[in-house]
This record gives sequence, structure tokens and C-alpha cells, in this order.
Amino acid sequence: MIVSLAAALFAAEAALAQAVEKEAPPPPGLPKNFSLPEIRRFDLPNGMQVRLMQYGNIPKATIRLVAQTGNIDEDADHVWLANVTGEMIQQGTRTRSAEEIATQLALMGGALNVDVGMNQTTIGTDVFSESAASAVSLIADIARNPRFPETELVRIRNDFLRKLSIERGSPQSVTQEKIMQLFYPSQPYGRSFPTPEVLQGYTLDQIRGFYDRNFGAARSRMYVVGRFDEAAIEHAIRRDFAGWKAGVPPAEPAVNPISRPGVYLIDRPGAVQSTMLIGLPVAGVGPSTPDYRPLMVANAVLGGTFMSRITWKLREKNGYSYSPVSYVAVRPRGAYWVEDADVATNVTGASIREIIAEIDRLRTEAPSEADLRGIQNFLAGQFVLFNSSRSDIAGNLASLDTYGVGEDYLRNYVRSIYAVTPADVLRMMQKYIDPAKLAIVVAGDRKAIEEQLRPFGTIAE
Amino acid sequence: MTAPQLAPATIPLEYHTLSNGLRVVLWPDHASPRVTTRLDYGVGYRVEPKNRTGFAHLFEHLMSQGSRNLGKMEHIKLVQSNGGVVNMSTQSDFTTYGDIAPSNMLRTILWAEADRMKGLDISEANLGIQKGVVSNEVRVHVLNRPYGGFPWLDVPQAANVNWYNAHDSYGDLADIDAATPEAAYNFFTTYYAPNNASLAIVGDFDPAEAMAWVNEYFGAIPSRPQPPKADISEPRQEQEKRGSRTDDRVTRPAMAIAYHAPQAETDAYYAMALINQILAAGKDSWLYEAIVRKRGLTGEIEGTMYFYGSMFDNNGPSLYTIDLFHDPDKSTDEILRAIDENVDRLRTQTIDEATLARARVKMRAAFYNDLERDYGFGRANLLAGFALFYDDPARINRIESRFAAITPELIRKTAQEYLRPANRTIFTVVPKTKRVK
Repeated sequence: MIVSLAAALFAAEAALAQAVEKEAPPPPGLPKNFSLPEIRRFDLPNGMQVRLMQYGNIPKATIRLVAQTGNIDEDADHVWLANVTGEMIQQGTRTRSAEEIATQLALMGGALNVDVGMNQTTIGTDVFSESAASAVSLIADIARNPRFPETELVRIRNDFLRKLSIERGSPQSVTQEKIMQLFYPSQPYGRSFPTPEVLQGYTLDQIRGFYDRNFGAARSRMYVVGRFDEAAIEHAIRRDFAGWKAGVPPAEPAVNPISRPGVYLIDRPGAVQSTMLIGLPVAGVGPSTPDYRPLMVANAVLGGTFMSRITWKLREKNGYSYSPVSYVAVRPRGAYWVEDADVATNVTGASIREIIAEIDRLRTEAPSEADLRGIQNFLAGQFVLFNSSRSDIAGNLASLDTYGVGEDYLRNYVRSIYAVTPADVLRMMQKYIDPAKLAIVVAGDRKAIEEQLRPFGTIAE
Repeated sequence: MTAPQLAPATIPLEYHTLSNGLRVVLWPDHASPRVTTRLDYGVGYRVEPKNRTGFAHLFEHLMSQGSRNLGKMEHIKLVQSNGGVVNMSTQSDFTTYGDIAPSNMLRTILWAEADRMKGLDISEANLGIQKGVVSNEVRVHVLNRPYGGFPWLDVPQAANVNWYNAHDSYGDLADIDAATPEAAYNFFTTYYAPNNASLAIVGDFDPAEAMAWVNEYFGAIPSRPQPPKADISEPRQEQEKRGSRTDDRVTRPAMAIAYHAPQAETDAYYAMALINQILAAGKDSWLYEAIVRKRGLTGEIEGTMYFYGSMFDNNGPSLYTIDLFHDPDKSTDEILRAIDENVDRLRTQTIDEATLARARVKMRAAFYNDLERDYGFGRANLLAGFALFYDDPARINRIESRFAAITPELIRKTAQEYLRPANRTIFTVVPKTKRVK
């Protein structure tokens, strides 16, 4: 990893500009290089892809089967069918009850984690090294032979009803739901929640059908990261997955985001804060495109970290908000940029003004070399931290595959961050973050904030 | 199943105490080119002044508002703009300041941490802004959130009787608003002293070089007399308590069952952690099987030894808490009965060796997770905590043997005393209107 000595001096100089007699921090020593451990890849004849990486000094291994399916494969009338299927997959196999699975994994130091996302469903665990091969066999059994017991269906549906009710009570969830509806109308990315009636109607046939259509070796990848006996793991993977059907190839998902400028208000009477998402689609951008890293850097200057401009204004200059943050939410063919902030009700309008002013400023004036270098050092350091645990590495490897970029992406990441210039930041801001196109979604107390919102556009529901 | 060798035990740690009382733990680990520091001060939620609730936490924010040689937010900027991250947290018995950075930053970080131990720049303006930030933190985490502070704020207030344990530690917004720079300054000079602090350094560094820097930057900071420790003990509870509040933003009730737990670091405390593994941790636990799988009373159940961190972060009275969310057509008492059937098994029967062995394996996995937590803060966190609480960071290498020594008989005795119905508080959050949807 390259961390510039000069950068620390810049930071120190900036710190000392106003108070000459103060003592300067000792400059950092020389940085060491970061290197990514080797990734071993092989494919099974049925199309399943495998990636193995030896990492770390804790005697554990993270094992993840990542299937290329999720909410993206639901149609409009079957939201959360992927989630219900993911829960039902955990209810036992043809030869093991759910309780046996739980007990066996507990004895390996692990637990079963099934995570259903928009584009991926992960069946995984983290176990002691000596149990890694046994855990692979268990994961294979769960993925290949789910029993889908009728006896559990009522309970699972009921659990999802409760979860739905609890999630919809949160102001963050309802603003997120709204902005997704705006950006992705009539598309899977735009559907966050089912109705209780839809949820209650799911049948075993529908669940089995979803599983049969969307699970199979040719759209699955196995990741093992940590300390493990590589020959034993390879043997277990080949033995336990070789006979799995290839399955149906994934359908091309409909993703066609649009920007929806305007103010959208979700009334929460009496709310002491306004929960805001302010953003727009940046659809063409992703890890495989040249604009991705410059846009990430621009975002970090603008609002992505503790020391970013919007964060400074909202939090440290005014005390309006606790943890405002902006980010580029990457998803295949449908990225968007958003500023996410919970602000005190009485400063809702003032906060939006600050946010837009900072966007405007970075669209008209490039950041200084010194400011940019600090942000680049931060992103480079974060990159090392985010590759410092088994689960982070497994997640990053899965992302490479999702976005069709090779491991050079990780090896070149730090260099590509440092290649971004102040002019690039300006260009990214001008190209992508147009204030005239922002959707401003606010969940808050209508009576207290309606007047504050009016200057930013016509208020819609 | 054989226990794998615990990796950290193979690396010897170094422990020093400076003449001003600062405890320093060094644990070199060259696996990756980064270093973690954790500076704990022995002051937390419990001991803040009675008319200054939330002060310990507000103070954590003030520590980033400028020190002798660094301006507002410059500490964070110095670390971040050199590739690192900061992590600060206020807990019941300590407040901690952590930095993770590329290993070439160690000297700079030690200088910066020492700089804010030497002196703070608390202006009226900065204090005012941080009151706003903290108020917004309380709003986003409690006041504007369904279920608010359930269970982590509600339960200690309902179950404890000693003010130190029972007050709203996040703070009353009015109390936060009333804080003055003088009060902040007094708090700092009292508690932020080297003899009330411990520093752990973990990662890629040379111990001799690191100690030279520690001596250079921290060595001359004078120790200060500490006030007598407050009495934070809780009396033995002799009668079950109930507490409740309504929340008009929710449709599903929530309930917590909180038992006063054994004193930290006693054998019974370790037994309690194993009881949690048997009773409520994971999908192989007794309660998951009984309450979730068999009866469908809830979708998940949570057992917690300590709300703010790992079980080793606690150094006083604590609560072992079980919590869950359920549907309005099931009563608290119906769920309680189902839970009690399992709790009673632990109190009246002696568990078999296989059950205990599985609990130990799960506990070891949980302990590894503690070590690895938060990008590596976990290990430094345990070392700084053990140095601060017990002057004995090497405890980290004895945790597994402590768990190994717990017998089925001690599990039963611990359950008998601590899982008594009279020793618990049932706390519920109920929807204002009982809508079924």
C-alpha cells in the first residue's frame, strides 16, 4: 500500500496554519506494501466456480456458496418470495432436520447464515479450520436437497409478517422504499416490501418453483477464505457438488433507472427528526467502468467520510445531524448516488441547503491537491482494512465475480485511487451529480417541515 | 472434537506501567502492515455526576474538538488522511479511544493520543455544537426509532435500584443541554489522567521502539489523585419486577427478561456465559427450539451478557437479558411460561457433558469473534480492558481455561441462584393500539 509521507505533512501543515507556535505531529514512518494473498480458482464440470484463499492466523474458515439469484428474480406480485424461499431452505434437508443442521454446525464453531439480497443469495458459515471440509458437505446438502417441510410454512410466513411490520415502522426503511420506487419504477430494484396479503398467500409450490428455477451449479460460486486444508476442501467440493444439476441460466433483469427530481414527503406526525435521502441514479457506473473510482473519490470528498465536506457542515459546523453520509450504491446496471442524513426537525430546510451548496461548490471548483491526497490516503487505508477479515475478503471476491472484473481490480485498486486528479473530481461531479435532478425524499413531521421544504420544489407524496 | 490451539496464546505480550501510572500492553503481530491502538479511560456511564446524565458520552465527543496542539476534528483528520480509522465508544465502566492505521503511523498516533491526554480545548462554541450532535444521536438511536431504546436503555433502568446503574446513561436532552465548559473541564481533569488509563498496542510494530515513543509522549503527563470509587453494587433482588411502556409507532409487542448476573470475572460469570450458549445463543439453543421452532411464538430470540460490548467489557453489576418480538395475540405470560420450562431444566437438572461441551465450542467461537471484531479492535479492546480493570492483560490467554473449568454442577448452582424468578425484571414495549396487521 502506498501512503504518502507528503500527505501527512500536508495535513499537519493545514492543522498548524492558524497557530504557529503549536507542536507538529511527528510525521509517519515509511509505509509498507499491501499485497493480496493468492486466489486459487477452478470450475466443476457442471459449471460451478470455486475460489479458495488462505488468509489470516486465526484457525477458522469462512465458507460461502453464492447463488446468482435474489429479489431480482421475483415478479411484481411476488415480492419477498426469494426471502421466504431462503428461510425455507434452512428448514432441513432430505436427511437432516433443521435442528440437526444447527447442532452439527454449532459443534464446528459455526452457524448457518442464509442471506437473500437483490442479486445474490448466500448460504454460508464460519467454522474452525479442522471442520471446514465437513461444513462444505453440510452447505452442499442444504443447497442441493432442501426438504421444504409444509409444517414450517405457517410459522415462517408469520415471522415475515412480523418482520414486515417492524421494518415498515422505521423511517429509514420507508425513505429507502420511496427512493427505490422513484428510481426504478415497475422494476425489481424498485420493490422493497410485499403487502401482508401477498406474504400470507405464499405456498409451498411457489417456494419450490422459485428454488427450482433459480438454484443450480452453473449460477453458483463457492468461496472459502481463511485457514484450511486445501486438498481436503477441494476434495469435498468436487465430491459434494459434482452431481448438482447445472440449473436454469439467470434471466436478464430489467433495470432501467430514471432520475425523478422533486421533493417527496412521507408524513410521520410528531417526528423529532427528518430522515432524508437525497440522490439520483448514476446508472452506467460500476466497478468495470472507468468512471467508477473517480466517482468514488469525488463522493468521498463530498460526503463519504467523517472529514468530508457535507459531514463537516451538517455535523461539526452546525450540530444538525449525528452521522450524515453519502455513498454510491453499486448494483448491477443500476447504481445510484445518495446523501443519507437524519437531521433535527427544525433544521430540515437548512440542512438541505447546506447539502446542495456543497454539491454546487464541488461542481464549480476542483478540490485542492492536499485535500484530495488526504481523501486518497483514507480510501487506500480503508481498502486495506476492508481486506483484513475473512468475511470482508469473501464478500469482495464475490463482488469481483458479480461485476465481471478480475482480481487485478483489487491489486490495482490503490494505484487507481491515487491516479484520480482534482480535475477528475470536478468532471465526475459535473457529469453525474446534477442538483437539478435530485430526488429529495424526507420522512418527517409534515406540519413542522412542509414550509421548510417548499423552496426545493413542489411537494409530492 | 479437539480444541484447536488458540493462536493468540502463542505470542507473548509485554506489559509495562509508567511511573505516572499509565498501563501499557504491547502485542506484536506482523500478519498485516497495520497497527491498532486502544486507549481506555476508567470512566463510563455509571459514574457520571447525578445532575449530568449523558455527560460521560457527551465527553467522548468533546475529545475530538481540539487538544493542546490539534484543532477541532484534526485528530480524526490526521488518522483518516493517513489511511486509518478512529473508533470511540462510551461504555458503563470505561470510555475508549481507538485508532487503526497503517503501521507507519504508530508514532504519529501515540503523539496525538498523548496530546489530548495533556489538555483539551473546550470552547463554548464547540460544546454547543456537540450538544446538538449528541441530541441528534439520541434522536436517531432512540427518540425517532420504533422501540426506541429497547432493550439496551430500558432494561437497566427498570431492573437496577442503585442510581449509578439505573439512570438513563445516554442522557436526558435537558441535562445534556445544561452542560457547561467548566463542568467538562472538571470532568476531564478528574478522570482523564494517566493513572486512570490503559493503552494497548496490537499489530505490526517493534516493541522497544513503541515503548520509547510511549515514554516520550506520555511519560511526563502527571498522575492525578482519583476520587474514591462510587458504590455501584446492586442488592440481591428478592421479588420479580415488571416494567412497561407504550410505543405508538409499533404494532408488535417486545419483551425482555433480565436477570441480575454474577459479578464479572467470577466462575459464576463464566458459567452464566455458558448458560447463555445453552439457553439462547444460536439456532441449536433450547429456547430457539422451544419458542421459535416448536411453538412459533417469535422468529428469533436474543441472549445478551452485556449490552454495550462483549462480556469482558463489563466490570460491575450487569444483567443477563433475553429479548424477543412477538405477535399481539400472544400474551407475555404465555411466552414466559414457555421460557420458564427451559430455564427450570437448568435450575433443577444437571446438564450432560455433551451439552456443556457444545456450549464451550460455541463460546470459543464467540471469543474468537470478540478478538477479530471491528477490523481488529477486538483484541486491543480486551487487552486494554483487562489492564484497566484488573492490572492483568494476560487474562486474555486464560479465558479458554476458565471456561474449561466450569462443571455441570456449577452450571446448575449458577442457574439456581441467578435465574430465580425473583431475580428478574420483565420489561415490555406494547403497541398503543393493538392493530393486527
